[in-house]
Amino acid sequence: MSINFKHIEDKLKTEAKKLLEQGKVSIVLAYGKGYDDHHPMPYVARNAADVGNIVFNEFCTANLARYLVRYPRGTKIAIAVKAADSRAVIQLIQEDKIKRENLVVLGIPVSGMKNSKTGEIIDSKTTCGLYNPVLYDILLGKEVHGKSVISPYDVLAEYEKMDKDARWDFWKKELDKCIRCYACRKACPMCYCDPCFIDQNKPKWGEKSPESHGNLMYHLTRFHHLAGRCIDCGECSRACPVNIPLYLFHKKVAKECEEMFGQVAGMKIEDKPTLVNFRVEDSDKILE
Amino acid sequence: MSRIGVFVCHCGLNIAKTVRVSELAKFASTLPDVVVAKDYKFMCSTPGQEMIANDIKKHKLDRVIVSACSPLMHEQTFRKVLENAGLNKYLVTIVNIREQVSWVTHDIEEGTAKAKAVLNGAVYRARLLGPLTSRVIDVNDDVMVVGAGIAGIQASLELANTGKKVYLIEKNSTIGGHMAQFDKTFPTLDCSACILTPKMDAVMQHKNITLMTYCEVSEVKGFVGNFDVTVRQKARYIDHSKCNGCLACTEKCPGKGVSEWDEGLVKRKAIHIPFPQAVPQRPIIDRDACVFFKKGKCRLCEKVCEHKAIDFEQQDTFTTVKVGAVIVATGYDLMDTQPLVQYGYGKYPGVYNALEVERLFNSTGPTGGKVTLRDGKEPQAIAILHCIGSRDKNNYEHCSRVCCMYSLKFSHLFKEKTTADVYQFYIDMRAAGKGYEEFYNRIIEEDVKFIRGKGARVAESADEPGRLVVEAEDTITGKFVKLPVDMVVLSPAMIPRSGSKEIARLFNLSTDKNGFFMERHPKLAPLSTMSEGIFIAGVCQSPKDIPDTVAQANGAAAEALTIVEKDKMELEATTAMVNPSSCCACQNCVRVCPYGAPFFNEQKGVSEINEALCKGCGLCASVCPASAIIARHFTNDQVLAEIEGLMEF
Ligand SMILES: Cc1cc2nc3c(=O)[nH]c(=O)nc-3n(C[C@H](O)[C@H](O)[C@H](O)COP(=O)(O)OP(=O)(O)OC[C@H]3O[C@@H](n4cnc5c(N)ncnc54)[C@H](O)[C@@H]3O)c2cc1C
Ligand code: SF4
Ligand code: SF4
Ligand code: SF4
Ligand code: SF4
Ligand code: SF4
Repeated sequence: MSINFKHIEDKLKTEAKKLLEQGKVSIVLAYGKGYDDHHPMPYVARNAADVGNIVFNEFCTANLARYLVRYPRGTKIAIAVKAADSRAVIQLIQEDKIKRENLVVLGIPVSGMKNSKTGEIIDSKTTCGLYNPVLYDILLGKEVHGKSVISPYDVLAEYEKMDKDARWDFWKKELDKCIRCYACRKACPMCYCDPCFIDQNKPKWGEKSPESHGNLMYHLTRFHHLAGRCIDCGECSRACPVNIPLYLFHKKVAKECEEMFGQVAGMKIEDKPTLVNFRVEDSDKILE
Repeated sequence: MSRIGVFVCHCGLNIAKTVRVSELAKFASTLPDVVVAKDYKFMCSTPGQEMIANDIKKHKLDRVIVSACSPLMHEQTFRKVLENAGLNKYLVTIVNIREQVSWVTHDIEEGTAKAKAVLNGAVYRARLLGPLTSRVIDVNDDVMVVGAGIAGIQASLELANTGKKVYLIEKNSTIGGHMAQFDKTFPTLDCSACILTPKMDAVMQHKNITLMTYCEVSEVKGFVGNFDVTVRQKARYIDHSKCNGCLACTEKCPGKGVSEWDEGLVKRKAIHIPFPQAVPQRPIIDRDACVFFKKGKCRLCEKVCEHKAIDFEQQDTFTTVKVGAVIVATGYDLMDTQPLVQYGYGKYPGVYNALEVERLFNSTGPTGGKVTLRDGKEPQAIAILHCIGSRDKNNYEHCSRVCCMYSLKFSHLFKEKTTADVYQFYIDMRAAGKGYEEFYNRIIEEDVKFIRGKGARVAESADEPGRLVVEAEDTITGKFVKLPVDMVVLSPAMIPRSGSKEIARLFNLSTDKNGFFMERHPKLAPLSTMSEGIFIAGVCQSPKDIPDTVAQANGAAAEALTIVEKDKMELEATTAMVNPSSCCACQNCVRVCPYGAPFFNEQKGVSEINEALCKGCGLCASVCPASAIIARHFTNDQVLAEIEGLMEF
C-alpha cells in the first residue's frame, strides 16, 4: 500500500494548471520547495506558470487549511488537502469562515507521512488516523484501504490512567517547557484570531514572556478555544520546537465532546459548531 | 480616584444573624477609595435611603455599594436614590450578602469572611464603573397567547375586551384544551361544554382576536415590548378561506387514523374535525392516515368538496407577528403510566387512564356517553386509583391537586350511568377548595366505597377469567385488600405538555424539576417569569383546577396589559458591543445569543450587535475567543478586577 508521491505531485500540477487556466480559481494552495527535500513549504500558485514549482512528497505535512482564512472573503481558492486537512476545511465551512462554493478541494489519500524534524514516519496515533479526505471535489490518487483505522483516542489510554493530581503535574511540567514561540498557534487551522487573546493588553489575560503562569494561561485557554473544533491534524505538536504533546489535551477534550454531544469536529458540513450550538436534547453533564 | 460609600444592611436578623455587619462596615472603610462605610438595620427603609442620599452629598460620593439582598429585590430602589441625589443610577453596586451569604451558612465566621471577600470584589469593580445612559423604546400594543385551553381562551378574551389585539396560537386543530374533553366539571357538576363552548365561540367571533389554530411558534426574537414571533401554520391540506364547514368530505373519506381527541379509544377519518363543537368548524387532513398521501390514489374528498377547498399541495407557511407581551398557557399532559407495569395499563383492557374515562362519560365520546368496557360490556365493579405517579418520590413528587376531586366526580358519574360498585383507593382525600369538602360529603352519601390505601398492583383474576384484582393495604384496618373489579381507572400525574421544553427554550423560560414553567417569584410574582414580558397561566405553571386556572389567566392578562398599555419603556443600558479591530469573525456571538442581537456584517467582515435587541446577558462576551466584545457594566476589566478582589481572600 505504498503511496506514489510522484504520481500525486503530477496530478496536483495538472489539476492546478487546469483550474488556473480556466479561471475557476484565482489561487491554488499547495506545497513548494523548501531549503531541502525534507522541508517542503506551503506554496501559493497564482497562475499556470507557477504550477511547475509545486511539489508533493512524504514531508508535506503542513495543514494548508491554515491559509484559507487569509484571503478576502469570496476569493476562489483550490486547496490540496489530506485527511485531517479536509476536516479543517469542513470545520471552517461550519464556522462560516469560508464558503463551500468558493472552494475546489483537491483530496489526497495518504499514509506513511514523515516528520521533517525527525525524518521518521509519523505515529498515526498522534493524529486523527484517517487516510482519506472526508471532503473533496477531485481525488488525486486511489483511496487507501486495508489497514484497520485506529481510534483517534487510543493514545489516551496511558494518560487516562493518571489521576487528577498526576495530570496537573504532567501538564505543569510539560507547559513549563514552552518558549512561547507560538508555532502551535501559527500551524493550527483553527487559530485564526488576530489579535489572539494572549497578545492583548486590555485586559492583559496573561504574562507574555515564557513563565509558568503565563504559559498555563495561554495553553489552557487555547485548549479551551479549540474544544469541539480541533480536527486532530497534529500539526501543533509537530510544530513545537520543544516537543510538548499538545495532541493529548486536544484529543482528551475531543473525546469528551464526542461523548457528551455525539459530534466530532470537521466531519459533516451540515453540523453546527458543537460548543456554540444549543440543542434541547443536549446532555447536561457539562453542568455537573 | 473614586469616592465610594459602602452601606451594609442587617435586614433585621436575616443578614446580621450570620454576618457580623458592623465588622463588615469597619472592614469596608479600610478598602481603597472607600470614604464612608456604615451599617444599618434596614437599608431599604426610608431612613436608610435618606442616610445614603445624605452621605452622597456630605462626602461627595461618586460610587455607592449597598451590601444587602439580591439585586432582584432592591436594585431599582437604590438606583432611584442615586438618581435623586444627582448621580448616574448605574453607579450603584448591589452586593448580595443575604441569598448568597447569610442564608447559605449557619456559621458566623464563615459568613463574615465570605461577605468580606465579595465586598472586596465589589469595591475593586466599582472603581472601574462608568455612567451609562438607558434607552427608551416604543412598545407594541398587541399580545400573543400561546395555547388555547381554558387559560389561553380566558386571557385572550379579557385582553381583547380591553381593546387590545390578541394573537391566539393553538397547536391543535381546535381550541378548548382538556376542558373541552370533559362531560361534567367538579365540584358543581355543571356541563363542561355548556360553560366552555360560549367562550370558544366568543374567541372565534371577537374582532380583536386573531385565532391561529394548527399553528406552532417556531422562532422568537426581540424583547419585552417588541417581540417578533414567527408562527408556523402547519399544512391542513384544506384552504380554510374556501371551506364553509359543510363536512361533506368527512363522510366519504376512507382513511382511518387514531382519534387523539378520544384519547386513542376509537378511530376517526383522515379528514376530520376532532369533535362536533370544534372551533373552528373546519376540517384538516391527517397526512399519516390519508389514503392519497399513503398510496397516491383516492382524492375522494376533493371530488365531494363543492367549494374546491381541498389542496393536497398545501405547505407549511410562516408568519411573523409583532407583539409587546406574551402569555404562555400550554397546559398539561397526563404521565404515561405504561412504564408503571404494576398497574397493567396497556396490558389489561380493563385499565383506563382518567382522560379516557372523561371521554367515556361524554356524549360526543366514543361510546356516546355510555360507560362500557372495551368489549362493550357494562362494568359491575370499578376501582379508581389515586396518585398514580404523583406524590411518588420514584416518579413525580408533586401532588396533581385535581385527582381527588375528579375521582369523586367519576364516582358520581359511574353511579349515575351504571349499576356498578365504585371503590376509591386514596392516600389522603385532599378537598381544599371552595365547595370541595361539601362535594366530598355528597359523594360519600352516594354509596361509594372509600379504601384508604394506595393501589399497589393490578393483576388478572385467577378465579374469574377476564376480571381484574386490585391489591392494596387498607391503612385504616391494617388489612391487605384484594378486590375483584372489571374496570380500573388510574389518576396519573399531571405533567407539562409535550413540547413545553421547546417552548421554554424559545421564550427563555426556566422550568422546575418536573418541567413546569418557573414563576419569577413563588409568592409575589406567580404569573411573571424571568423573561420580561413573558407571562404564564394555567397548568403549565403547576397543576390546578379550572377556577384557579381562570383566575391566573385573568391575572396574566392584567400583567400583560401593564406592559402594552405603555407607549414607551425604558431599557437597561447594560448592552454589549463589538470592538471591530479584535473581531476574528468566528461568529460565535451570532450563534449563542438567545435574543438574536449579533449579526455578521459581510462588508466589514466583522460581527456587530444590534443594541435594540441586546439584553446584556453577556453570553457573547464569554464565547468570544478574541475578547472583542465589550459587555457594558460587566467589561472584562471590571469582571477581572472583581475576581481579583474576591481571590484576595
Ligand atoms: C381527568 C381530569 C379531569 C379534570 N376535571 C376537572 C374538573 O371537573 N373541574 C376542574 O376545575 N378541573 C378539572 N381538571 C383540571 C383541568 O383540566 C385544568 O385545570 C384545565 O384544563 C387547565 O387548563 P389549561 O388551559 O391550563 O391547560 P390545557 O387544557 O391543557 O390547554 C392547553 C392548550 O394549549 C395547547 N398547547 C400546548 N402546547 C402548545 C404549543 N407548544 N403551542 C401551541 N399550543 C399549545 C394545547 O393544545 C391545549 O389546547 C381535570 C383534569 C383532569 C386530568
Ligand atoms: S489544535 Fe493542533 S491538532 Fe488540533 S487542529 Fe489545531 S493544529 Fe491541528
Ligand atoms: S488561542 Fe484562541 S484566541 Fe488565540 S488564535 Fe487560537 S483560538 Fe484564537
Ligand atoms: S509551539 Fe511549543 S514552545 Fe511554541 S508556543 Fe506552542 S507549545 Fe510553546
Ligand atoms: S384523499 Fe382520500 S383519504 Fe385523503 S382525505 Fe381525501 S378522501 Fe380522505
Ligand atoms: S465571537 Fe467575538 S470574534 Fe467571534 S464574531 Fe463575535 S465578536 Fe467577532
